[in-house]
Amino acid sequence: MAVTVLMLLCLAIGALRRTPVYDAFLSGAREGLETALRILPALIAMLCAIRVFMASGLMDGLTCLLAPLFARLGVPRETLPLMLMRPLSGSAALALLRETLEQYGPDSRIGLIASVMMGSSETVFYTCGVYLGAAGVKKSRHILPCALLSWLAGSMAAAFLYPTP
Amino acid sequence: MIQALFGVLLGGGLLFGLVKGQGDAALTVLLGAAREGVETAFSLAGSFALFCGMMGILRASGAADALARKAEKPLQRLLGRGANPEALSYVAMNLTCNLLGLGNAATPMGLEAARRLGDGDRANNALCMFLVINASSVQLMPTTVIALRAAAGSADPGAVVLPTIIATGISTLVGILSCKGLEKWL
Repeated sequence: MAVTVLMLLCLAIGALRRTPVYDAFLSGAREGLETALRILPALIAMLCAIRVFMASGLMDGLTCLLAPLFARLGVPRETLPLMLMRPLSGSAALALLRETLEQYGPDSRIGLIASVMMGSSETVFYTCGVYLGAAGVKKSRHILPCALLSWLAGSMAAAFLYPTP
Repeated sequence: MIQALFGVLLGGGLLFGLVKGQGDAALTVLLGAAREGVETAFSLAGSFALFCGMMGILRASGAADALARKAEKPLQRLLGRGANPEALSYVAMNLTCNLLGLGNAATPMGLEAARRLGDGDRANNALCMFLVINASSVQLMPTTVIALRAAAGSADPGAVVLPTIIATGISTLVGILSCKGLEKWL
């Protein structure tokens, strides 16, 4: 709905200002296609790295390793796989959320924390890789540490918002 | 840093798979992922063309410049003075679409903004801040999560809206503050 209104608005503005809307659309669309091509190498590289990492089973080991630490910080063990998966893959995290909601119930403490965790962060690695690819940048400086800090803060906030009864 | 991440994820995954005796399975996974990357880029290309085409109309009509001038002050506060003025209208569109939950339109706008913010091999302060904000989720309405909760039989699927907004706010704030703090050192 909102997108339709926005597009109509674009057209109306273009017509009002006597812009050759067709030509303008074509030149914009060309840029969009160039960008899609420009991000392709980064997209493939990131997806390969993430998928191999997920398939290797290192994720389970990492979850076991970090569980005691995060349990002490107030993050329930049941939500840890989702929290750790969230920066890597949106679809895998969504599947984990579906499982968690079915197993513990959507209105349980676990279910609520998992829901907020899912909604409060992004697929950090994928987003960073693709955007850096679009920018054509090699030295990413503090981008990843800051993005991971914000993921950590969002996930911890989700757990703190539903304290143990 | 991104180099190290790539190396750790790929190298760690391959090594651990090899140790577990799944050396051959890794190739299948890699080829599948590479193919998925191409398919994703091609399916995204259509929506990129569409939304960037619409933005092309706004630019040719001068409306994008007007938007950039309106948004210049607050955006320069956020991104710092070095930001390329050409990128500002895309940054403004990206943030607006993200806040409204229009992910389809937000991504092409964000990528165009990143493309214009980048200058050279080293990420500048403005690009760093923009990427951190985009990686920290700025979406206000967790529509997918609400739908999943409803499907799972929740008595109140929307109960997580306010907590999600609070957690998202905290995550974005931490991202912005840490980015401002670290930009002098790294």
